[in-house]
Amino acid sequence: MGAEKSDSAFYVQPDDRAIPGRAYNPRSIPVACLGGRPVRNLIGMSDRTASPVALEVHTTLVHAHGLAALVTLLISVTFGVVASLQLLYPDVSGGVPWLSWGRLRYAHTQGIMLGWLGNAFFAFLYHAVPVLSGRAVTSVRLGRWLFALWNFAVMVPGWLLLLAGVSQPLEWAEFPLVIDAMVVVALLLAAVQFLPALFTRGLDYLYVSSWYIIGALVFTILAYPMGNIVPEFVAGASGAAFSGLWIHDAVGLFVTPLALAIVYFVIPAATRRPIYSHFLSMLGFWLLFFLYPLNGTHHYVLSVIPMSAQIGAIAASALLGVDVIIVVANLLLSLRGAGFVPREVGLRFVATGTVFYLVVSLEGSVQAQMAVNQTVHFTDFVVGHSHLAMLGFASFAAAGGLVHAWQRISWARYNARLVNHAFWLLTSGVVIMVVDLTIAGLVQGWLWQSGAPWSESVQASRPYWMLRTLAAVPVAGGFIALLSGLTTGPRGAGLMVVEESVGVAPIEELAPRLAPMTGGAR
Amino acid sequence: MAYLVASVAGVLFFVMSVTLLGIWPKRVLEAQTATMSPENALGMSASERRGRVVYSREGCAYCHTQQIRYLRADVSRFGAPTLAWEGRLDYPHLWGTRRIGPDLSRTAGTRSEGWHFTHLFSPRAVVSWSVMPAYSSLFDGSASRPFQEARDLVAYLESLGRAREIAGPEGEAHARKACDCPDDETAQLAFGEPLNAHPARARRDGDVPTDLVQTFRAAGAGANDVSALGWDLYADHCASCHGAEGAGDGPGAATLRPRPASFVDHEYSDARLADALWNGVAGSAMPAWRDHAPADLAAVATVVKGFNAPRPAPALPESLLETGARVYVANCRQCHGEQGDGAGSAAAELTMAPTNFREQRPSLDRSLRALRDGVDGTPMAPWNSRLDTAEMLAVAHYVRSFFQAEQAGGR
Repeated sequence: MGAEKSDSAFYVQPDDRAIPGRAYNPRSIPVACLGGRPVRNLIGMSDRTASPVALEVHTTLVHAHGLAALVTLLISVTFGVVASLQLLYPDVSGGVPWLSWGRLRYAHTQGIMLGWLGNAFFAFLYHAVPVLSGRAVTSVRLGRWLFALWNFAVMVPGWLLLLAGVSQPLEWAEFPLVIDAMVVVALLLAAVQFLPALFTRGLDYLYVSSWYIIGALVFTILAYPMGNIVPEFVAGASGAAFSGLWIHDAVGLFVTPLALAIVYFVIPAATRRPIYSHFLSMLGFWLLFFLYPLNGTHHYVLSVIPMSAQIGAIAASALLGVDVIIVVANLLLSLRGAGFVPREVGLRFVATGTVFYLVVSLEGSVQAQMAVNQTVHFTDFVVGHSHLAMLGFASFAAAGGLVHAWQRISWARYNARLVNHAFWLLTSGVVIMVVDLTIAGLVQGWLWQSGAPWSESVQASRPYWMLRTLAAVPVAGGFIALLSGLTTGPRGAGLMVVEESVGVAPIEELAPRLAPMTGGAR
Repeated sequence: MAYLVASVAGVLFFVMSVTLLGIWPKRVLEAQTATMSPENALGMSASERRGRVVYSREGCAYCHTQQIRYLRADVSRFGAPTLAWEGRLDYPHLWGTRRIGPDLSRTAGTRSEGWHFTHLFSPRAVVSWSVMPAYSSLFDGSASRPFQEARDLVAYLESLGRAREIAGPEGEAHARKACDCPDDETAQLAFGEPLNAHPARARRDGDVPTDLVQTFRAAGAGANDVSALGWDLYADHCASCHGAEGAGDGPGAATLRPRPASFVDHEYSDARLADALWNGVAGSAMPAWRDHAPADLAAVATVVKGFNAPRPAPALPESLLETGARVYVANCRQCHGEQGDGAGSAAAELTMAPTNFREQRPSLDRSLRALRDGVDGTPMAPWNSRLDTAEMLAVAHYVRSFFQAEQAGGR
């Protein structure tokens, strides 16, 4: 573990006796903990492991994936902004084929899902897996290969091929088959990189974040080929059924579990106390992996896909809302005392993302119902929904995880003011954009139902599209501020922030006021 | 042991979802496809398959769906709901998840080829409010010079919905019998309505609602009757082809054949306008506008009528009209009919209905030009090699004498 000192670093959390401003000798304090408490207490581990454990977090890989995440994010946001401009000024790109709306749309969604969220999740995994398991990830060399593969064999060639016209016209699966193969290889490498550490001590020692990580990595390897390859060999409506499964699995088995892993990790780490209920967290976990895949057909309601499949998916969508209520209640209760707007910015991102998660899931449960779906299907309502999910929930969780991990890298630059600005810019941008698109979708749907000529729905959408493009200013500005906040400022400034910002009082002070914890012992 | 249970449980959930929502529907749909598809369902030509690749790579499926749902709102606009067998050649499917533009499942036969090329090259030349990207790179500088990819793409568009149409009533009856429709309403939506209800589809011998002509008449024809609504509608929907001043010189006119009509050069009866707006002009790029309210159509018709400023014609000598009648009977009657009503013996075979002179009077200038140069894009050929100038002049006057502006009862 000590062989590659130049490439990794022992990383420590300040303990309760931390003095602000004190310089840390990374080798002097072997105890690594979540929020100043020994790991075992916070995540419900048995007290059998008495000795503290030295953790190795490969901060260079956290940093590399974090930068890659933010750069691909800004590129993807640019694609999105140009696409939204093209709906207002269709001739703005002058008929150049690789700048046409359709291809930019493909590049935008794949860039966000795989480039931004993919890299951000990897960055978080490099931070979290050692902390959760007490073990290092499998190998730094493998990590470098994974980084190179993900960014230079998937993202860059993927984008180039899409813009050149080599693509698949499948929602969330637009990268061509050759890139899909690279993604599957990379996912397998990621499984090899991150999963062994989590399995070394038995299921009893797994915190819910670890469960979500395992679930996400395993299920994405299963679901990704299904969504990307099966529709090429199964025609028409049957292929659409599989497409519907992937559209939801991409969000529900890849993005949501890793985002929830981040949320479940950052909340106790930043509040320095356990989550409200481990039982509810595991209930939520198993319900999620049971219900999410069964939602797939809700993307093709009132189509020729057998009605029983549609009804089953709609019922599963309603039950999913119940599951999300359970999960979010647990998370919000875990945030008690941190205030409605937590002071610590990583926690704030994650808390806001959690609220967005509740809203978007309830919205999803409602819009899957046939009575609502018949009006809003195919409108901007769905575009608003997907942005609330990917931008509101997933990106806020990813940003929170990234900020949390960044703060704990002793040599990383960190500018607290810029990160704070990023939060407020992003929140306002997301709210404006999503509310705008949701109303636009309702207007479009009602116009279509009223029998009005098609021209009316397009012309009526213009002001909403205009406002959506303007919302790009705070959104892009927020992401630029985030990138700047994590690449400028003094080195190690994040550690100071960690010490200074106690989001919530230590457990001893709160204990008399809190209800007894449930289900802690495993 | 716990590992095994957890892993199996997890993977089982995934397998269950794929089975219940993927594999089982696939089997049902394949059974449906096998029983409901017509006997000899039409395939796709090589050009159409190439066109499909162009459609896929340009992201067309992200603005235009190919999935008509079992809903009145969809069926009344686009036609019968998409059946499973109609997508049997779609590897992968192009159902789409967003409609910024209309659904294209039954777009075959709704627009002329020239319209498609013009629309792809420069969408706003024919649809002024469109936000579609211009695919000018598929053309060699002009909509009338498409590269092979543009031809392929248009061929593909013209194949959408064609297989079910060509299967004819027998195909529909076969599908209906084999359909395991869950209830009567679904069956009615899928098979009871006209197959292609597209409000823009031009109909050669379509009916006109009885009160539409009355509405047009009531809207008036004078300059004072033109409303702001009419102007707005004309600017949004008509000016791109027919020109801002109604001279048939809009941006789309350059590459559409036959050219859009010049309203300056024609006088129309209300019946003719009602028919052109309600049924389009089959054989040309003029679509139907059935999705607009009759009052809107009447307002547009008033604008159209206002472009034409008829001049009182001097009385014509008998001999001129006799010569004209003689030439007409010898040369024009087969298409334009004995009474000049466009119902000649050969008319039914033509791609575009011959002009009904009882409802549509060209200016003298326009008549002479049509005789001398023909009407490009229609079966009307140039006659200057078969008729001399005097004969052409005579017949030009003669056809203008058929016009009946105040014909009772319309068409």
